[in-house]
Amino acid sequence: MDQLPNLGREQEMLSIMGLKSIDELFSNIPDEVRRTEPLPLPPPQSEEEIWRDAQHLLGSNINLDSRPSFLSAGLSRNFVPTMVGMLATRGEFLTSYTPYQAEVSQGMLQAMWEFQTMISELVSLPISNVSMYDASTSAAEAITCAVRVHNKKATQKETIYISELVPPHRMSVIENYVQGAGINIQILKHDLNGHLDIDSASIANGSCAVYVEQPNSFGILDEGLLKLKELIGDNTALIVGVDAVSLGVVSPPGEWGADIVVGEGQPFGIGPTFGGPIYGIFACTEKYIRQMPGRIVGQTHDSNEKMAFTLTLSTREQHIRRHRATSNICSNETLIALMGAMHMSLLGPDGITVLSQRVAASTEVTKKALQSIKGVELVHPNSHNFRDFVIKLPGDSGEAVAFMDSKGVMAGLPLGQWWSEMSSCLLIGCDERTSESDILSLVSGIKEWIKEVKS
Amino acid sequence: MSDIFAFNGSSNAGWSQPKPILPISQIKETVPQSMLRSNPPAWPRASEPELVRHYTWLSRRNFGIDTGFYPLGSCTMKHNPRVNERIVNLPGIDRMHPLQPEHQIQGILSIFFEMQEMLAVCSGMDQVTLQPVAGAQGEFTAMRCIQEFHRERGEGHRNKVIVPDSAHGTNPASASMCGYEIIEIPSGKDGRIDLDALQSVVGDDTAAMMITNPSTLGVFEPEIAKASEIVHSAGGQMYYDGANFNAIIGKTDPGMMGFDAVHYNLHKTFSQPHGGGGPGSGPIGVKAHLAKYLPTPLASRRKLNDSDTQGVGDGFWYSWITPEKTIGKVQQWHGNAGAVVRCWAFYRRYGRELERMSEHAVLNANYLRYKIMNPDPEVASNIHAMPLDGAPTDFVMHEFTLSMIQLKDKVGITGKDIAKRLLDYGVMAPTLYFPMIVPECLMIEPTETESKEVLDQFAKDFLNILTEDPEIVTTAPHTTDVGRVDEVWAARNLILRHPGNHTVQD
Repeated sequence: MDQLPNLGREQEMLSIMGLKSIDELFSNIPDEVRRTEPLPLPPPQSEEEIWRDAQHLLGSNINLDSRPSFLSAGLSRNFVPTMVGMLATRGEFLTSYTPYQAEVSQGMLQAMWEFQTMISELVSLPISNVSMYDASTSAAEAITCAVRVHNKKATQKETIYISELVPPHRMSVIENYVQGAGINIQILKHDLNGHLDIDSASIANGSCAVYVEQPNSFGILDEGLLKLKELIGDNTALIVGVDAVSLGVVSPPGEWGADIVVGEGQPFGIGPTFGGPIYGIFACTEKYIRQMPGRIVGQTHDSNEKMAFTLTLSTREQHIRRHRATSNICSNETLIALMGAMHMSLLGPDGITVLSQRVAASTEVTKKALQSIKGVELVHPNSHNFRDFVIKLPGDSGEAVAFMDSKGVMAGLPLGQWWSEMSSCLLIGCDERTSESDILSLVSGIKEWIKEVKS
Repeated sequence: MSDIFAFNGSSNAGWSQPKPILPISQIKETVPQSMLRSNPPAWPRASEPELVRHYTWLSRRNFGIDTGFYPLGSCTMKHNPRVNERIVNLPGIDRMHPLQPEHQIQGILSIFFEMQEMLAVCSGMDQVTLQPVAGAQGEFTAMRCIQEFHRERGEGHRNKVIVPDSAHGTNPASASMCGYEIIEIPSGKDGRIDLDALQSVVGDDTAAMMITNPSTLGVFEPEIAKASEIVHSAGGQMYYDGANFNAIIGKTDPGMMGFDAVHYNLHKTFSQPHGGGGPGSGPIGVKAHLAKYLPTPLASRRKLNDSDTQGVGDGFWYSWITPEKTIGKVQQWHGNAGAVVRCWAFYRRYGRELERMSEHAVLNANYLRYKIMNPDPEVASNIHAMPLDGAPTDFVMHEFTLSMIQLKDKVGITGKDIAKRLLDYGVMAPTLYFPMIVPECLMIEPTETESKEVLDQFAKDFLNILTEDPEIVTTAPHTTDVGRVDEVWAARNLILRHPGNHTVQD
């Protein structure tokens, strides 16, 4: 309890107010709702004791860096440059609130304006906000935004189309977010190669939006999506979820017709952190600007015509528009976006290219290595993959993962967890840090398990 | 000014990383030809020394709690203990994946469980989920649970949510996102709930009422139990906006007041740093009848079996469970786990003494209010016009509101002018023009982590501004990095990105 500067000075302050006890200050709480028992919680601890317990509890977890790991599934086992954490936790950034008072918040405002620029460049769309909670809420709010923009002219009212390969946790977030607006979700099918069934995609023409991912949840880069915008037409938003790192080598969706691009920002800026805090990317064309969610920073000037930055387009937001706001988002993930901006600026155009190439290379090498194992099949043998790919095993993939876990290898995600019909499939995730020796460990783990199953 | 896009070094001068494990020619074959990116993004080309200086320069143009007093009402800008930042850098949280098997995550699961239990105990609720990542998302999550509760009982026709006109904007926005119609009821003159107005709007279509207590005026609502009764007897649910939870821990709780669901702002009450707008964390707690609808998964535990490995050494095995009629997910993983861990470290610092935290928050607010409203006679004689209390009550809770309407009428100084002038005194401005029911409102929340001396100085500076030449005040700030910023120009011109450095080529 060393956080209270006025501890022991209560009487001094009370007497100035002409009071005798702190209880008097709580006299507006009627007896019937007044708590009389102390909280049934443990006694206070010192910093030293808290640190000890944190080390013990968190130290008992097994972290991704402690062994070969192929568990990705939407998060990246990245390396974050040391500068990022050190500068982002400078107190002026860390302990500031949303920059409502622009005159004393130019630092964060400019940093977010630079962030917007870097995201805009990355995905090749003109507008970006300063972050959403994660890739899933970003996708969900892109959909509700698109419906607000396109519903009037749509021939399929309140209807949107989503790829069937959107992972179930994201689908669930989307369903929660869109149900209130009465939005009807239709599913777009994929062929056996994991590619969108492009011939049937034109059924989405006349709806409000189409949401697809590139690469999709199996890591597949789908060339067919390049034709999608043409098929669905101008009045249907093409919303594309991306792996942000892939855009170092893969063509940005803004260049092939995407109207809104969303995705997980985590690979830039922060470790996987058990799933949060991370941040969602949200970028769009001008058409959506007055209906988009989230905070936006704009350039302006001060009373002396000096260049300055401020939050703008606030009239979309809940604190002004209340129940007519475009979103309820208030707290977002600014600090993590700041870490992302720092990471992106350290990478630069050359660094993002190399980073992306590293992921592409380890994906390819891992895929080749596993393909050569007898009993292992690539589920999509003719696909191009980035980061993730799917293999089929001669048995339950959950059991395979548990076996390899006991040998000290995190082998990936058993896809039965997402889709029950894929219980023998394993989603292998690679990243820039996947080494030749990691791959050897995975290969020998799988071989050993296959031997075990067959015997 | 430091312009990051002006850095344009040579392509091999920047941050270095290992080479890909395949030659470039083979990497290009991993992407369909038509999908290869032609030009890299036009990001800056900078070296680490340049960027360290750039971001340090930016940080010095930003005001945080570490810089000075931050009396931002409703936001609970308290000190952020630094050990919390050290803890979240441990690989046992930073390098963890949310889909790892349970035996690899016993430590983090035990922290989740402890936090669920602690928050339930402090709020008088039965079950807590840590998944929502912001207060607004907590509101949304709880309203979704309430919606499913009504639907399952065959009362899906309940489509209206009642909010007082003094509510935070997120309340109506979150309910509206669930598809609810909003009924706004006026507050009484003293900022308190108008029970007659409430009685007149409840009915067979009432889904819920959303309210914060203490109210946004910083006043405890003594008739809250009656309000709960009115809503419940109409078949509606009571939702507690926990933004002001810092005022009441250990003194009362939403369960006693009759609430069915509550959200907590871990970034307010439990010191997750605000980080310029986030990350936050907005867990919710619910009474037993709503628990089965909560998002999945929840942390749970049982006594260790002989077959279990050691666990964390407390005799329990921790696991994930799925509530029976779960609404599914609101964040794709388990919420902002890093924030949960920080707040766990913060709560451990107080333990059962959390009550002291609320006492000091309330003591500081009342003390500062007293000092501002009772100036020395000499100072008082020079003041153009005194502020008015936003709520005419003897005591406030953790925050208070002041109306600057008399000052505006007399010398033309607005609440905004005062806010901007305060920046010149090296403090952050209070929350401005909220709640809207108080004219020319300033909302001040000192929190428990400010010393008496800081409060004395703020009161002195505040009162001094009331004596200053109106010309100085209305043109403030004068000493900040930039003068008063033209927000209207920004909204008209919408320059939302740097023109960029388009010279970057492959």
